[in-house]
Amino acid sequence: MSNTAVATSSGAAVLEDVVKHFKSGSDTVHAVDGVSVAIPRGKLVALKGPSGCGKSTLLNLLGALDRPDSGRIVVDGADVSGLSGAAEVAYRRDKVGFVFQMFNLMPYLSAIENVMLPMELRGEPNAQGRRTLAESLLSRVKLAPDRHRRRPTRLSGGEQQRVAIARALANDPSLILADEPTANLDSTTGEQIVGLLRSLASDDRTVLIATHDNSIARQADLVVTMRDGKLVGRDEG
Amino acid sequence: MKTLRWAARALLRAPLRAALLVGVLGVSIGLALIMITVDGAFDERLDEIQSEVGTTLTVQPAGSFGGGFILRGGFGPGAGGGPNAPNAGDTADGADTDADAGQATLTDEAAEAIASIEHVTDYARTITALYSGDELVAGTVERPGNSPFAGNLPEGGRPILILVTGTDDPTELSSLGVQNAEITSGRTFEVDEGEANVAVIGEGLAEANGLVVGDTFSVNEAEVEVVGIYTSGTQFGDNAMFLPLDTARALFDREGEVDAISVRVDTAENVSATAEAIRETLGEDVADVTTQEATFDAISAPLADAADSSRIGMIAALIASAAIILFSVAIVARQRIKEIGILKAIGASNWHVVGQMTLETAFVAVIAAVIGALATFPLAQTVANGLVSDPTIQVGGFGRPGGGAAVQAVDGPGSNLLGEVDVAVSPEVFGYALAIALGLALVATLIPAWYVGRVKPAEVLRYE
Repeated sequence: MSNTAVATSSGAAVLEDVVKHFKSGSDTVHAVDGVSVAIPRGKLVALKGPSGCGKSTLLNLLGALDRPDSGRIVVDGADVSGLSGAAEVAYRRDKVGFVFQMFNLMPYLSAIENVMLPMELRGEPNAQGRRTLAESLLSRVKLAPDRHRRRPTRLSGGEQQRVAIARALANDPSLILADEPTANLDSTTGEQIVGLLRSLASDDRTVLIATHDNSIARQADLVVTMRDGKLVGRDEG
Repeated sequence: MKTLRWAARALLRAPLRAALLVGVLGVSIGLALIMITVDGAFDERLDEIQSEVGTTLTVQPAGSFGGGFILRGGFGPGAGGGPNAPNAGDTADGADTDADAGQATLTDEAAEAIASIEHVTDYARTITALYSGDELVAGTVERPGNSPFAGNLPEGGRPILILVTGTDDPTELSSLGVQNAEITSGRTFEVDEGEANVAVIGEGLAEANGLVVGDTFSVNEAEVEVVGIYTSGTQFGDNAMFLPLDTARALFDREGEVDAISVRVDTAENVSATAEAIRETLGEDVADVTTQEATFDAISAPLADAADSSRIGMIAALIASAAIILFSVAIVARQRIKEIGILKAIGASNWHVVGQMTLETAFVAVIAAVIGALATFPLAQTVANGLVSDPTIQVGGFGRPGGGAAVQAVDGPGSNLLGEVDVAVSPEVFGYALAIALGLALVATLIPAWYVGRVKPAEVLRYE
C-alpha cells in the first residue's frame, strides 16, 4: 500500500500525507508517518494493526482531537486538519461520534442523560425531543429500558458500550470513530457490539473501527492495515 | 435546573470531598460574615457613641476645675459645707452658709444665651456642693484589704464628704453624673419636681442614715423626701445626693448660680463651631468650653481597635476562602482531567466545561455560605465580646477630669462598652453570604478557565 496521495472525491474522509510525531523524552515517536488514504462513505472500515502502530492517533486526527504536524484531512469535503476554536468544537460535536475502548461515560449521569448530553451541547432546545431521541437510540442499541436510568457504574461493560454507541449517534454524525470498542468486552458481547456498529454503517454514515482483532476486521467492508505509523495494506472485505 | 442537578450529582460522586470542602469553606465564609457583622455593629456603636458623646460640650466658669464645690473654695473656708465640713468654720447651726460670693459662677442668663446659639438643641444646668452638716451622717471609705494605703485609713474607715448635685435634667438616672448608676429602689425625679424637696441618694448614704424610699431627712433645716436610692458600685459614688436644681439652689443659698452647663449640639460636626460660638458669646474670660473629643477617643479606642481587628479578620477570612476554593477547584480540575477530555471530545466547548465546573463550585460555595450565615447568628456576639479588649472602661463619674456634674451629660456609652455593643445579625447576612459565594465562584473560574483551555482531549484520553 502506498503512502502517496490516494484522495478520491467520493471518500467520506480523505487523508493526504498526514504526519503526526510525538516527543518522548529525547526520542521522536512517528505515530503517523505520511499516511494517505480514502475512507469510503457508508462503509464499515477496520483500521488494523498491532498496539502502538498509530491507529488511535489516526482516529484522533480524524476526530479533530489532535492536529497533524503536516498533511491534510478532509471529512465530508471540509478540511479539518486546521480547525480551531468554535469550528473545531462544532466539528467534534456534529460531524463525528466517538466510541472509546473504556466507554468514557459521564459517571454522574444516567444512561439516557449520557446520550442526551451531546444534544444539549449542540443546544437542542426541546427537552422532550432530546429525551425521546435518546430513548429511541438506546432502544436501537438494544439497551433494556430498565437500564435507561441507571448510572454507568450499575451497567455491565457491554451495556456501557451500547450507551457509548448511542451517545456517539446522538447528533447523527456522518463518521463514527470506534477505538478498540471490544477490547474490554468478552467475545460474545464484543461480537454483538461489532454487529451493532456494522448496522450503523449506511449510505450516509461511515464507521471506522481501530482494532487489532482479526475477527472484527473480517466483518469490515474495508480493512486498512498500519504498522509503525504507515499504511501497509488495504483490503476490500 | 438540569445543569444544577448535574452539578450536584458531580459533587456527590465524592461526598466526603464535597463535605470537607463545604465544611472548610463554610468556616471561612462564616468567619468573614461574622467579621462583617461585627464590624458593622462596631461602626454603628461608634456612631452612636459619637452622636451621644460627641454632640455634648461642657461650659464651666473660666478657670474652674472639679465642679462647683472646688470652684467655690473647695475644702477651705466658704466651701458649701456645714459645720463639720473641713475648715468650714463659719456655721454653728448646721446650715450651709455658702459665704464665698467672690467666686465666679455661671448664670441662668448665660444658659439662656447658650440656648439661643445655632445648633444647640438642649442644655442642662448643674450646681454642686459639699454638704457637711450634722443632719446627715456621711458614709465611710472602708479599708481595702490588700491596699498598700490601707494603713492610712482608720479602723472602720474614713468618713466621706457628701457631694450634693443639683440638676435641672433629673428625669434620667444617667443625668445624675454617676456612671453605672442603677436605681435599686424608688425612682428618679419627675419633670414637675423641679422645686420639690425630693432627693435621690446613694446606697452608702442611705445605709449610713438608715434611710429608705419614702423617708425624709433634713438638709440645712429643710425636710427632703427620699424618692430613689441608687448604687454606682463605688463608695464615693454611693455617698452622694441629687436634688432638683432649684431645690439645691434654695437649700444651699445659690439662687441663679450655675456651676456647669452641659450643652447638646444637633450633630457631631457642629460641636466645634458651637463651642466657638459659646466662647464668643460668653467670653473666654467668663467660661471655659470643653468638648468631649478626648472622652470620645477614650471610649471609642477599644471599639475602634476591635473594629480594626474585625476588618483584618474579615479580609483574612475572605482571602482564606478564596485560597481554599482556588486550590480546591485546581485539585478537582486535575482529578477530573479525563472527564474534561471526554466532554471536549464529544463536542463541549471550553466555556461549557468551565461553566459546569463553576456551577459546581458555586453550588459548594452557596451551601458553605448558608452554613456560614447560619453560624453567624449565634457566634457574632461572642466574637464581638472577644474582640473588645476592655469591656468595662469607665468614663466620666467622679474621677474624670473636670468631674462631678461638669460632664454629667456624658453618660451611658462609656459605662459598659461590652453590653452596649449589640451585634444584631440581620437577614442581610444571607445577602452578604450570597455575594461572597458568587464572588468566590467567579474567582474560582480562573483556575478551570486556564486549565481547561490547556487540556488536549487526545493526550488526556491517551494517557489518563
